[in-house]
Amino acid sequence: MFGATDRYSSLIPAKAGIGLRFQHHQAVLDTRPDIAWMEVHTENYMGGGSPIRCLEAIRCDIPISLHGVGLSLGSAEGLDQAHLDRIRQVAERIEPDLMSEHIAWSVSGGTYLADLLPLPMTEEALAVVCRHVDQVQSTLGRRILVENPSTYMQFWHSTIPEWEFMAAVAVRTGCGILCDVNNIYVSAINHGWNPLAYLTALPPDAVGEIHLAGHTVRQLADGGTVRIDDHASRVCGEVWSLYEAALLRFGPLPTLIEWDQNVPALDVLLDEARRADALIDVTSDGVRRADAA
Amino acid sequence: MGSAVLTLLEIQIAVRAGILDNGNATVSATLGDALAPADRLSIYRNTSRTALINVLRLNFPVVHRLVGEGFFATAADTYITHEPPHTAWLDLYGEAFPEFLQSFEPAAALSYLPDVARLERAVGRALHAVDAEPLEYSQLLDIVPSARGRVRFTPHPSVSLVFSPYPVDAIWRAVLARDDPALAAIDLSAGSVRLLVERRAGEVDVTRMDEQRWKFTEALFAGDPLSTALVLADNPGAVAWLAAHFTAGHLSDFALSNTETLVPAERAQ
Repeated sequence: MFGATDRYSSLIPAKAGIGLRFQHHQAVLDTRPDIAWMEVHTENYMGGGSPIRCLEAIRCDIPISLHGVGLSLGSAEGLDQAHLDRIRQVAERIEPDLMSEHIAWSVSGGTYLADLLPLPMTEEALAVVCRHVDQVQSTLGRRILVENPSTYMQFWHSTIPEWEFMAAVAVRTGCGILCDVNNIYVSAINHGWNPLAYLTALPPDAVGEIHLAGHTVRQLADGGTVRIDDHASRVCGEVWSLYEAALLRFGPLPTLIEWDQNVPALDVLLDEARRADALIDVTSDGVRRADAA
Repeated sequence: MGSAVLTLLEIQIAVRAGILDNGNATVSATLGDALAPADRLSIYRNTSRTALINVLRLNFPVVHRLVGEGFFATAADTYITHEPPHTAWLDLYGEAFPEFLQSFEPAAALSYLPDVARLERAVGRALHAVDAEPLEYSQLLDIVPSARGRVRFTPHPSVSLVFSPYPVDAIWRAVLARDDPALAAIDLSAGSVRLLVERRAGEVDVTRMDEQRWKFTEALFAGDPLSTALVLADNPGAVAWLAAHFTAGHLSDFALSNTETLVPAERAQ
C-alpha cells in the first residue's frame, strides 16, 4: 500500500503519534509504549547534555519528527542563519523522519517574540515565506512540511485566502503541508470561515501530516468570544469530526496528538492516539471500499 | 500612517512594539489601520509574556521559590521588556537576569539573591550548553616545553565558576530539596564560597574550591596564559590541579599566545 506520507518519509507510518515532552522522557524509556512515532519541538534539543542524549536513545526505537517553533519563516528581515544552523545540527544528530515549521513569524529586529504571530495574507508575505522555505530546504537538503496557523486577528489588506496561501507555498517551493485540523477549526470559528471548505481547498497530494490538539473558548471584554489554540486539553468533538473529513479527503496520514500545557500522564496521550488510530482504520477501510467499487 | 498599506517589515516592527510595550499609543494607531480587530493583539502579548515568564521560572527555579510567584512574575516581566530573547533557543534565556536582579530596587533587601541567580545561570549552562569534545592532555604534547607557558585554554561550554560572599550553594540545595529547617539554619555571614559548576554524566555538580585553586582555575578559564595562572596559584600543587581539569573534561580547546604575561592583571571578583 502506498500511503500519502511515502512522498516525505518511508519510516513514519500513517498512524497516530504523540508529542514527546520532557516529563515523559523517563516513562517512554522505561515502558517503551506502543506508539508508531513521536514528535518533538526542535528548539528543546538545541543544547547538549542529557535532553538530546535521551532523544537519541528514544530515537533508536521510535521514528521521530522534528517540529520547529522558532525559525520565523514569515520574518520580513530574513531568517536567523544561526538558528537555522542549530536546526541542521539537531537534524544531523537525530536523523528525523519528518521536519516541519509554521506559516507564521516570531522574530523582528532580532528579537524573538515567543509566539507564532499571524502574517498578512499578501503576495509580499507569500514571497517572503517561499524564499525562506527554499532556504530551509536547501540548507537541510530535504523537503519540509509547513503548518497552517491558528489566528485571532486578521489584516485588512490581506488579499489571499489562507487556504490558497498554504497551497501556493507548497506549489512554489515543493514543500508539503502539515494540516493542523484544530488550527483550521480555531481560525475558521474566529474569522467566520467554513472549516470544511478550508480542508477541501488544500491540495491532497501536498498534505504529509495532520496535527490534532485541544483548544479553549475565551470571553473577550467586548462581549465576543475567541477560540485559543492552547494545546491544554483533549481534542474536542467538532475537531474529531473535521479530522474524519480530512482522512476521507487526504487518505491515511501520520497524525500527531499535541499537548503542551497542563501535560497529562502518558496514558492520556496514548488514549487520544488510539482514538485517532481507530479513525484512520475506519476511514481507510471506507476509502479502500470506494476505490474498489 | 493613515490608510496607506503597511509593508510586512513595518507591520512586524509595530507588532513587536505592541508585544514588548503594551502602552504604546503609536503602535495602536499604526495597527488600527491594519488589524481586524486590533485589540486582539493583547492575546498574543499575553501568550508571549506567559511563555517567557515561564522560561525564566524554569531557568531560575530557586530564585522563584525564594521570592514567591507574585514577586518573581513582576521581576521577570520587567526583565523581559528590557532584555527580550534574541533566539528561540531559550534554554539559556536570562543570561543577564542576575545583574538585573542586582539593580532591581524591590529586591535590594535580598543581598544574596543576585548570587543565587548567578549560581542558577551556571547550573543552566551545565544542563544545557552545547556538547563539545574535551581537550586531551596528549594534544599538548607537540608543544615544545619552552612554549607551554604560552598556552591559553578554552573552558568547556558547560563549566562555570561562581564566587559569592554568601553560602549560595547551601541556599540552592536547601531550596531545591524543599528543606525549610536547613534553609533557616543557614548563616549568611558564614563566609564566601568559590564554586565550580559542571556537568557530570548528564547531572549538575556544584563543588566548593579553596581560594588558591579557584584563582588558578579562574585565570585558566579566562584564557590567561598558563604561566600567568601558575603565578597566581603560587602553589606546587597547581600542575596536579591542571591535570584534574583535563581528567574532568573542563577544557575544550587551546591556543598559543604570542607572549607570556607574567604579571597577572588585577581581576575583579
